[in-house]
Amino acid sequence: MSPQEKLYRFEELEAGRILGDLDAAEVKDWHELSEELDCGPDFSLELIAAALETEAVQEEALPAGIAELLRQGIPKYASLEETETAIIRPPIWRSLISSPQSGWAAAAIFAALFIGMLAKQPEPLKPSVKTPSELSSKAARDQLVGNAKDLIESDFGATDAYPKMTGKVVWSDALQQGYMTLTNLPVNDPGDKQYQLWIVDPSRDEKPVDGGVFDIPAGDRTAVIPIRNPLAVTNPAAFVITLEQAGGVVVSKQEVVVALATTS
Amino acid sequence: MIESKIGVLQEVAQGKKHAMEQCVTKYGGLVWSIARRYTKDHSSAEDIVQETFTDLWKSAHRFNPATAAETTFVGMLARRRAIDYVRKESRQPLLEPLPEAESLPHASPETSPALRCESQDVREALKQLPQETQQIFSLHFDEGMTHPEISKKIGLPLGTVKTRLRRGLIEVRNILRQAESAQPSFSSNR
Repeated sequence: MSPQEKLYRFEELEAGRILGDLDAAEVKDWHELSEELDCGPDFSLELIAAALETEAVQEEALPAGIAELLRQGIPKYASLEETETAIIRPPIWRSLISSPQSGWAAAAIFAALFIGMLAKQPEPLKPSVKTPSELSSKAARDQLVGNAKDLIESDFGATDAYPKMTGKVVWSDALQQGYMTLTNLPVNDPGDKQYQLWIVDPSRDEKPVDGGVFDIPAGDRTAVIPIRNPLAVTNPAAFVITLEQAGGVVVSKQEVVVALATTS
Repeated sequence: MIESKIGVLQEVAQGKKHAMEQCVTKYGGLVWSIARRYTKDHSSAEDIVQETFTDLWKSAHRFNPATAAETTFVGMLARRRAIDYVRKESRQPLLEPLPEAESLPHASPETSPALRCESQDVREALKQLPQETQQIFSLHFDEGMTHPEISKKIGLPLGTVKTRLRRGLIEVRNILRQAESAQPSFSSNR
């Protein structure tokens, strides 16, 4: 099979995954092609299937007993108010938020360390077959870079825990769009831990804005990740990536800070 | 029109208890009904519902009103759980161990392109598919028939039914992508 044929094959298997009709051999093929081609799940296909199914389903009432059980379980997840006061903010984050001056100093230290690390490991990226999703994210990022008149660009500085990680963030206040280009961020198991972006916007609030949860799939050495900010962000001071429990968190305890990009 | 006002899921994402309760009221029936499409067993359907809402509490912040309606997002989570259930069930009688169904990852909006998926547009796109494929889609999604049931009803080999559903789904996505001309994409060039 040519690379293009393999991509078509993967796409068909992905549709089968979403339709729930893959047999054992196809599951194996899915994994192998996914790794070989750097391809991942297709959210659009899944949404289309869901749109068709939700529209067609004849809705029955949820049995009262199950509804009650669901409601009883809610307090476990509705923990925002309870946990907010218990958050310990690490010095870098707090200083970025509360004091721009000291924040820049911290960022400068970070940047210096980061440049040193970059100089030591200029590993070239291996050429790879581009996935549809990767192509699209890259294209969207390039479009933003080409069109935004107020583009903010900043490099990510890695932390001790992720010394090989490099990356860049681009952001436009006017368009409320941004993308991260991340290299050498380790693959995560989405069922266990996920990366989460936080946008520090001192003009808005002390609390950073959630910029979305994301995964680094196997084989993706460089990934372009769109920023998903449900709240408007203006003049962001920093972008911080943390590692969180699967599904992300409402408020980060920042136990694992992966990388930081400041916009000075 | 995709929902643009602040919806209940965005409040769920903020950890608001009242929004979660509202969510159970608003989407409980939908999730339950999807679960029942995949299993007639009451207790299994209950498990699917529980797991779907747990997913929802954890991943509501991923919902993007620009790409889908809340109903579609919730339906997507319910489908995932229901299909996982079916995979696990179908594994039971087999003698040879299958690869872990759970190891197949789920898509997330963060790792794949965001295509606007409104039910109306999807239905319009479906109309551009061959008549026979439309019929297979209708039997599968509207009537809730399984692939073998469809194969028996219309007299096509099972493999053909499977392939037409898969390729039809891809084609619908490509038609929607072409409609979103601003976003260049790999598949729209096929």
